[in-house]
Amino acid sequence: MTPTADPPAPDLSVALGRLRLANPILVASGTFGYAREFAPLVDLSTLGGVVPKTVTPQPRTGNPPPRTVETPAGMLNSIGLDNDGVDHFCAHHLPYLSGLGTAVIANVAGKSPDEFAAMAAQVEQAGGADAIELNVSCPNVSGGVDYGRTPEGAAAVVSAVRAACDLPILAKLTPNVTDVPSVAKAAAEAGADAVTLVNTFTGLAVNWRTRRPVLGNGIGGLSGPAIKPLALRIVYQVAQAVDVPIVGCGGIRTVDDVLEFLVCGASAVQVGTANFADPTVSGRLVKDLAAAMSEEGVLSVRGLVGTLGPAKTAQAVGTPSSSRESDR
Amino acid sequence: MSGPHAPAHEPLAHEPLPHADAVQTIATVGLQERIARDTFRLVLECPEIAARIEPGQFLMLRLPGRDDPLLGRPFALYDVGSDGTSFSIGYVVIGKMTRLMTELRAGDQVELWGPLGNGFPKPPESNAGPTLMVAGGIGQTPFLAAGREILGAAAYGERGRFEASAHPPELLYGARSAEYVAEVDRFTSRGISVSVATDDGSEGHHGYVTELLERRLHADPRPARVLTCGPEPMMAAVAKLCEAAGVPCWASLESPMACGFGACFSCVVRVKQSDAAEGWDYRRSCLEGPVFRAETLVFD
Ligand SMILES: Cc1cc2nc3c(=O)[nH]c(=O)nc-3n(C[C@H](O)[C@H](O)[C@H](O)COP(=O)(O)OP(=O)(O)OC[C@H]3O[C@@H](n4cnc5c(N)ncnc54)[C@H](O)[C@@H]3O)c2cc1C
Ligand SMILES: Cc1cc2nc3c(=O)[nH]c(=O)nc-3n(C[C@H](O)[C@H](O)[C@H](O)COP(=O)(O)O)c2cc1C
Ligand code: FES
Repeated sequence: MTPTADPPAPDLSVALGRLRLANPILVASGTFGYAREFAPLVDLSTLGGVVPKTVTPQPRTGNPPPRTVETPAGMLNSIGLDNDGVDHFCAHHLPYLSGLGTAVIANVAGKSPDEFAAMAAQVEQAGGADAIELNVSCPNVSGGVDYGRTPEGAAAVVSAVRAACDLPILAKLTPNVTDVPSVAKAAAEAGADAVTLVNTFTGLAVNWRTRRPVLGNGIGGLSGPAIKPLALRIVYQVAQAVDVPIVGCGGIRTVDDVLEFLVCGASAVQVGTANFADPTVSGRLVKDLAAAMSEEGVLSVRGLVGTLGPAKTAQAVGTPSSSRESDR
Repeated sequence: MSGPHAPAHEPLAHEPLPHADAVQTIATVGLQERIARDTFRLVLECPEIAARIEPGQFLMLRLPGRDDPLLGRPFALYDVGSDGTSFSIGYVVIGKMTRLMTELRAGDQVELWGPLGNGFPKPPESNAGPTLMVAGGIGQTPFLAAGREILGAAAYGERGRFEASAHPPELLYGARSAEYVAEVDRFTSRGISVSVATDDGSEGHHGYVTELLERRLHADPRPARVLTCGPEPMMAAVAKLCEAAGVPCWASLESPMACGFGACFSCVVRVKQSDAAEGWDYRRSCLEGPVFRAETLVFD
């Protein structure tokens, strides 16, 4: 009998510009605490990376409760960037995170390009982070200029950070604009290594009896399975239009969801709300991805990225003209 | 837990998380029974959690394979079965998940993660006065296990068995009306005395449970401490009465939760903090509670 050689284990490694990851499964900012909350439940060293909760220059109290409400197949949140500030993050959380044996992508939000740049430099100086994610997309913070809403704003933040710090940069963009590809393009040209698509979609839950919004802060951000088709559409549109690595995010909770994002053009993914409803999901997805690829005979994650073909009845999906044609 | 001067929102790195031994697992429904109007007792076969959970701790429950309801819901431990491999929860139907839970039958599966949160502090010395447990509505559920532990009748999790208190614990139990009063027998048959108050006078004292408490606080034997769980206005009133009487009080809060273990920052409650601008700070109830020393809380 000739022994049949085991097929080689699939290659899960991916690159987001200058950032190399062992596998494409990341966890999304604000849905994984500071990682230590998950330590009893997930082998954190198996993840592609962790993105801790957004930090701001100063401590923030956050919004009044209720801060979250469940909606059909999703949830609305308005946490309001409740955090202890960047000094505390560097002193208290980074030392823990850097010992986890996984990539650490620190997520920061400031009110001006200078604030973003100063925080990125401080995090780099403190040591322990492998990359910086810029939250230019939080729907829950009033007051500050919303830099992620325009190509110019996003470019200003990214170039300020690029000048102040050598860590790889992920720009996390809002879906709450008409033209995400143009913002992504501006971020890439300003020096972002990758774009994270997407943050939450703004939404509203109301109690008509009391004539009040359910959330303490009124409007919130929608996440969870309900937004997956919207996020996939945006990932696909940006992948078609801009040559920049994409981290897909929105409603991911199964390995099929991961694979859908990859074929639509994401090089890696972030798991968000699913961490709340299924705390061990992130670690499981790494294993499930390897198993699903082996079963399909797919050798590398990189070979899957952006392989979505045209819709059967049209030349291409996603462009307004072609979808109109297919409607006729 | 963090002291009053800790700058952090969270237990510090060297402090263990309350859910350090939590697991996520599938449990099988052993039994479901109606115990009062809109109120049910659900027995779950789940050796991992049954062996670990302590009085006052909770777990998150979710129906597997569904996107809607999406998130788990928190439920307190009612009691651990005598076999040590099952435990029960008691719940009242209020919305989407609890309505669906009434359809669960023996053999059905649910998804759980726990044990979560900090339970009640350990029972006081056996010769201290009695523990008063003040419940409003479904807030009675944490007190069956708490009471049995004080009686030395059952051991929970790692805490082991305690010396029986010379003073049996007393449950003061408020409900809207008699039809909502659940399982008084289950408490009394285990040696926990129960005094009921109903808003409409259909059972026990006609009025609020806090009226029973006020009377009891000033009677003998002097209570060593008070534990309370129920609607927030009730707990606020209980805390105030205890403060006036100089009796220490712990409240188990039910702020809505999306994850149960510190990941989402949705369950925050106001905890007094002298160095904060407003004199308080939002803290995650699932990590620092749900049982808090009442005097540290800012009630609305
Ligand atoms: C630590 C802890 C322990 C708990 N233990 C128990 C228990 O042992 N037994 C039990 O019956 N319940 C318990 N609860 C409350 C229980 O979790 C809620 O009743 C449950 O989540 C309701 O889910 P639902 O889908 O049926 O209602 P939903 O459809 O989610 O909500 C229906 C309505 O109730 C409101 N609501 C939801 N949760 C709460 C809440 N916690 N407080 C006030 N209003 C709320 C919602 O805003 C909405 O208006 C506990 C809560 C906590 C935090
Ligand atoms: C409760 C909650 C808090 C969040 N906080 C942050 C945050 O602090 N910073 C950030 O960049 N994104 C935050 N997000 C957005 C998520 O990182 C993610 O982009 C979004 O939820 C979509 O992914 P999902 O559908 O998998 O959850 C938060 C989301 C939720 C649900
Ligand atoms: S319920 Fe998520 S942090 Fe407490």
